[in-house]
Amino acid sequence: MKVHIYKRLMAMQASRRGILKGAAGAGALALGATSGLGALARRASAQGNLRAEILKIPGVGMGSPTDADWQRVGELCLDGTRATVEEGEFEGVQLTFMGLNNQNLHNFLFRGFLKPWEAYTGARIEWIDLAQADYNARLQQSIATETVDFDIIEMGAPFEGDVCGKGLASEMPDWVRDLIEMDDYVDYLKAPVGTWDGKTYRISVDGDCHNFNFRTDYFENEELAQAWRDEGHEGEWAVPTTWQKVQEVTKFLKGKNDPFGGPAYGYLDAPKSWGGFGFYFLASRASAYAKHPDDPAWLFDPDTMKPRVNNEAWVRAIQDVLDVLDAQPPDQINADPNTTAFQQFLAGTGSMVSWWGDVGSNARTSDSSIVGDVIGFSVLPGSDDVWNHASGEWETLPDGPNVAPNMAYIGWGVYVMARVDSDEKKKKAAWSAAAHLGGKDLSLWCAAYPSGFQPYRKSHFNIPEWVEAGYEEAFIENYLASEADSYNHPNAAIEPRIPGIFQYYSVAEDELAKIFAGQYASAQEGADKIAEAWERITDQIGRESQIELYKASLGV
Amino acid sequence: MSMEKTAPLDIDFDEYVPPDPIPQSRKRLGLLILAFGSLVLAAAFLVQALYRAGTIDFGFANWRPVVYAYLFWGITLGTAQVLRRGEAGVRALFVLPAVLFVVAMVVFPLLFGLYISFTDWNLSSLQGRRFNGLDNFRQMLGDAFYWNALKNMVWYTLAVLVEYAIAFGMALLLHSQIRARKFFRVVFLLPLMLSPVAVSWMVGKSMMEIRFGPIANFARWLGWENPAFFTDPWLARFSIMAMDAWTFIPLMMIMLLAGLQALPKEVMEAARVDGANPWQTFWKVIFPLTLPVSITAVLIRIIFKLKLADVIINVTAGGPGGATDSVTSFIFRVYRDRSNVGYGTLLAMVYLVLIVVSLTIMLNVLGRWMRGYGQEES
Repeated sequence: MKVHIYKRLMAMQASRRGILKGAAGAGALALGATSGLGALARRASAQGNLRAEILKIPGVGMGSPTDADWQRVGELCLDGTRATVEEGEFEGVQLTFMGLNNQNLHNFLFRGFLKPWEAYTGARIEWIDLAQADYNARLQQSIATETVDFDIIEMGAPFEGDVCGKGLASEMPDWVRDLIEMDDYVDYLKAPVGTWDGKTYRISVDGDCHNFNFRTDYFENEELAQAWRDEGHEGEWAVPTTWQKVQEVTKFLKGKNDPFGGPAYGYLDAPKSWGGFGFYFLASRASAYAKHPDDPAWLFDPDTMKPRVNNEAWVRAIQDVLDVLDAQPPDQINADPNTTAFQQFLAGTGSMVSWWGDVGSNARTSDSSIVGDVIGFSVLPGSDDVWNHASGEWETLPDGPNVAPNMAYIGWGVYVMARVDSDEKKKKAAWSAAAHLGGKDLSLWCAAYPSGFQPYRKSHFNIPEWVEAGYEEAFIENYLASEADSYNHPNAAIEPRIPGIFQYYSVAEDELAKIFAGQYASAQEGADKIAEAWERITDQIGRESQIELYKASLGV
Repeated sequence: MSMEKTAPLDIDFDEYVPPDPIPQSRKRLGLLILAFGSLVLAAAFLVQALYRAGTIDFGFANWRPVVYAYLFWGITLGTAQVLRRGEAGVRALFVLPAVLFVVAMVVFPLLFGLYISFTDWNLSSLQGRRFNGLDNFRQMLGDAFYWNALKNMVWYTLAVLVEYAIAFGMALLLHSQIRARKFFRVVFLLPLMLSPVAVSWMVGKSMMEIRFGPIANFARWLGWENPAFFTDPWLARFSIMAMDAWTFIPLMMIMLLAGLQALPKEVMEAARVDGANPWQTFWKVIFPLTLPVSITAVLIRIIFKLKLADVIINVTAGGPGGATDSVTSFIFRVYRDRSNVGYGTLLAMVYLVLIVVSLTIMLNVLGRWMRGYGQEES
């Protein structure tokens, strides 16, 4: 769970008594049921008890979890390890784990979770903690200089091209696949994500997607509804479900008044560069135009790696931004995604924004948020028509607008490096440790407490568990539904997991900044420049290998 | 004195060769030791280079043994110095470690960097590093972002002149007998103590923020409807210049203040006695006498300015549309976001050459001007 979600729980001040009421009896039973071997066999009956029990550690309203709590959770969730590893089996094995130290989470939790595992198995783990900003450079340097000095790594799926594509990761053994119950993953995290050439490498510990956040008070406002009708717009005044409507609403709102007072604004774009991550926000606008349900690719042609970023779909998305930039707040050209989400939308400026789940979870917890009671969530808007790259034409689908939620960044996972493969004992130890961190029950605790991770399993979307943990039902239902519907959407737009994907995003941001500043004659000219730069990167990294890896990442 | 008497003495003195206190055998031993050390170093380097190139199938797992060979060579070099040169060799030992360290930590990386700048090295590429001649240079010639950043650097550097004028004014103010002089000296120095990253967030992203920033609100109060400091290209550039100037003017100010305080009192008194007014005193006495300090201050400031990146990266990310991009912030993107080590290094090398050449020219011109100024005065 991300810190802000936890803080929201704290802010709600749910009483320990209330939380314990439903779980206490079951928790006591679970304590007795978690010891001994054969846990897998009786998992079905004991799992509910165990899940209730770990949700009590340390308990909502009891302060932030400590290392002792992480160790306790790790201990309670050790059944899978006990079922697959003999006590002391990894005596003498030394493993190195490289991960993040963001907000004192990630590796800090992993340490606690793995301490009971170390005590039981006899293995020892050394830790390499990295700040987010240093992570990419450290990983790339390790790969480029052939100095991979870690056995297990916490890594985002976009880097799979750099690691799995170069044969640096260890293939997941079947016993791990069974242990972590991969069928429980939300659909988009299933293959091809986490796989290369049909081999599975990733244990997911996180999920990511962009959802659509909007102000309900705007779309329930009678004055705005009347103005909408008076101006002769088609359809009722309602939350836009297509980008065409988003554009129309954004233009319509220019010059109107915000229900909170001050000027009203529609959609908030983030034109300013953001270290490559800003490209995701154009991609969220473009996915419904560019991601055809019959075509898994939407950024490159899989056969040639020819960029599609300058096709009509992407150019339309870029043009959309240009068309409404002057209807957005002044100085919007200097707004990055951090500005749109936290300084604008949550602070009451603008009525629609695409973002990761953080906007929803901050809405009622952040001190600077004033939209907590008037926020709603949905999957990203669709489009009335979709670009068919094969036919080179816009197409209207028979079953309505094309929806293609953007699975931006895909989420964190735990990977074992191939350097352990030569030592069977070490390999089993590394995979056992990784499986422990990616276990189904332990992941529930991570979804419910500050951990740095979002829900990513179907079982995480069991609303009663969240309500029992203290969340308001209507809010959490709406919020989680927007994520679950995105995750499980059959036409979800998955980014290419090829080497150097952030290089493509970074150069695109530079060119987009020029396009948005009006330095090119047209969106098409600017998009062509992006495509040129992407071609250069592809040639530099190696076109043939990129084609091969891109196909592998798409599972085609 | 006759030639007959002095000539034999001169010849004797010139041809006198004092006996060498270091025996030839010891010299040969020194040479032998040095040759052995050199051989070890050359062999280690050659083996590893050939192994890495794939020419031979044996070698070390990494380059560390070559570093050890270099250390060993350093020891043999020192030993040879002592054995071959005696007391002079011992004296050389005091300098040798520093020289070897500088070679290892400065000269070698610079040469290696030069080599890298002629390679195609993208960290994401499966092929690794490949020599590509002048391709990076050709790419640079057509790179609109790099030239745009260089053009911006010209503007940023020119702003140093304005900063210098302000710094001089402040230094004169703090040099004069004003109330609470010590207090103001400390206060004026405070911005220099702030990290540019802190300035970026406190000033650029908070105080100048269009919606709630106090500076924006003040501008609004003055009648500027939408005080967007970073939307218009020139205004954005100026805003970056202002933030950077606010941080570094105190550096120039403190140097100029030191220069002012070192001025000989007699000259100032003589000027007063001669009836010079304050304007004349400044232009005819103070300014010429503080010129060396001024040049040092401006040079140091220009060097700082040429490294300008942190404020830009944090506040505008080079925008809008590259209007505020600096060479360093662009190279940062090429390196960090695009892992394009070869091209990034070439850009940095070209920038280094440009800096060295332009500073040399500037120093030359300034030197001539100062000599001219001195002659005119005299």
